Amino acid sequence: MSTLETPSPPPPPSATATVRPLAKKRARPSEQLFKWLVVGLTAITMAMLIWLITSVLIRGAGSISWSFLTDKPSSNPAKAGFNSALRGSVVLMMVTIFFAWPIGVAAALYLEKFAAQSATLTERRLRERLTTGRVSGLGAGWVHARLWWLRIRPRVVHLIDVNISNLAAVPSIIYGLLGLAIFVGVMGISKSLLAGGLTLAVLILPIIIIAAREALRAVPISIEQGAMALGATRWQAVRSQVFPAALPGILTGTILAMSRAIGETAPLIVVGGVVFSTAVPSLNPLEAGNEALLAMPLQIYFWTDQPQASFQAIAAAGIIVLLATLLVMNLVAIILRNRYSKRW
Amino acid sequence: MLLALAAAATISVLVTVGIVVVLVEEGALFFTDVPITEFFTGTQWFPLEGKFGVLPLLNASIVIALIAAVVAVPLGLGSAIYLSEYAPERLRRVVKPVLEILAGMPTIVLGFFALDAVTPALQMVFPGLGLYNALAAGIVVGLLITPLISSLSEDAMRAVPNSMREGAFGLGATRRVVSLRVVIPAALSGIVASIVLAISRAIGETMAVTLAAGTIPNLSWNPLEGMQTITAYIVQVSKGEATRGSLQYDSIFAVGLLLFAVTLVINIIAVRIVRKYRTVYQ
Repeated sequence: MSTLETPSPPPPPSATATVRPLAKKRARPSEQLFKWLVVGLTAITMAMLIWLITSVLIRGAGSISWSFLTDKPSSNPAKAGFNSALRGSVVLMMVTIFFAWPIGVAAALYLEKFAAQSATLTERRLRERLTTGRVSGLGAGWVHARLWWLRIRPRVVHLIDVNISNLAAVPSIIYGLLGLAIFVGVMGISKSLLAGGLTLAVLILPIIIIAAREALRAVPISIEQGAMALGATRWQAVRSQVFPAALPGILTGTILAMSRAIGETAPLIVVGGVVFSTAVPSLNPLEAGNEALLAMPLQIYFWTDQPQASFQAIAAAGIIVLLATLLVMNLVAIILRNRYSKRW
Repeated sequence: MLLALAAAATISVLVTVGIVVVLVEEGALFFTDVPITEFFTGTQWFPLEGKFGVLPLLNASIVIALIAAVVAVPLGLGSAIYLSEYAPERLRRVVKPVLEILAGMPTIVLGFFALDAVTPALQMVFPGLGLYNALAAGIVVGLLITPLISSLSEDAMRAVPNSMREGAFGLGATRRVVSLRVVIPAALSGIVASIVLAISRAIGETMAVTLAAGTIPNLSWNPLEGMQTITAYIVQVSKGEATRGSLQYDSIFAVGLLLFAVTLVINIIAVRIVRKYRTVYQ
């Protein structure tokens, strides 16, 4: 009990002792000090955030204009615009989502709704088929293979689980190296928006899987069981009941994953991101394989890296555009969640 | 159809396999030219002169991660204690998402902030501080990982059942004592894991350190000097169009392999800490 503070000794009794109300008791200085310490530390963190945002706003607000959004890049900071970078980011996001979303959602559906289900019924049915001797030869081999798969499935699923959470913690620049070696090196895709988009797709795949699984888990099992009790197969129940109910949650997670991808710089530089180009990429995602890899964060990096103060100003303006995009994406995610999320 | 779904799930495993294979294969090419002992013991990293001692890069990554931890541990733990033990619920619901904005901030923005605001401010304190220095880089990386520590630690602290707090209050403990002697020890595994994960994130951080700490390899513990981290080196080479198959090209995979191994080990340690020391309360 030495860890607890000993209460101060009671005041000596006197004839006129009055009962002092507890609430009026002054807190000990050490208590006050500790409270102000934690309040202060929280305040410092918030103050740093405010400092960051105001310093960017002050530096960049003067350079924000309509022509900044519509002009091509230029080596003259007064004329340089953000249009190519904006276009590049839009195409990148289209490519990223095109590859990452279907794969991520499919993986989540499998892991959450099919692989995790108990297999006793299927197993019994398969064993019956073997014992009744209705199958032979190749057929029996197939049944044995399925039984073996059912036996090792929980371990495989656990392995995939661990693997996905580990992937989410891999530094993003490592994904850049992967993209450089596989998409550019092995597959021979040029250092383009397509290669960049594929790399970002791999980067956000674990994030989408984790978010989609959480959304699927939030749908009560009774929905699925109800559908199956009415005669639906598990596939039908998942497709027409569980998936639509989980969709708003999945989309929210997807938007948050995209907001991670749109701010990524390092993997794009490694895959061959162009930091300076006067090209204006087409908005057609089918052309992504032929367009130079340009994106908002790359352009900001190039400008920040220049020593002249005038480039710092347009870098800040670019950051304002990037942060505004992120803000809009997050607002959409919040609205989606509040509007369509169901309380079961 | 089910097979297609299962195939999608295996892609995530293929990604891991791909990362390991790519790093090991290209890294092995590098180590056929540069002896592995020279790589780990050499104190000079001048790729153009064929000097490949990785210690300056590794040292810089560690120095910056340590500065980040010095910044982020007090800020993150302080915020976590405040949010979990002191803040009224309504304030908590505002403060927590605001702190998490920092975690979602693109790191290029933090790099800009370091160069444009933090370094000039530090130059007022340390006259003669160069434009590129590890201190500013460490501070902004610290800001980036603060919400990671505060969020995860706060979750761990809130998982401590109220009955434990009430028991301590009943014995006459004050709020400070309850926070420091009851809640923190009970949530310690989660808190330590959050710090370890945050340090792993700091080591893998790229853009803020590339912009703020510079691109000159420098084996030094002085945070006021510029230094190049592992990640900054990868960026520098990638920008310069190293041709495929050249020693420089291979070298980024070799240092990438080192980075991957370091962060993986740290993450495994974090998972172990949670699993070994976690107390489960109902």
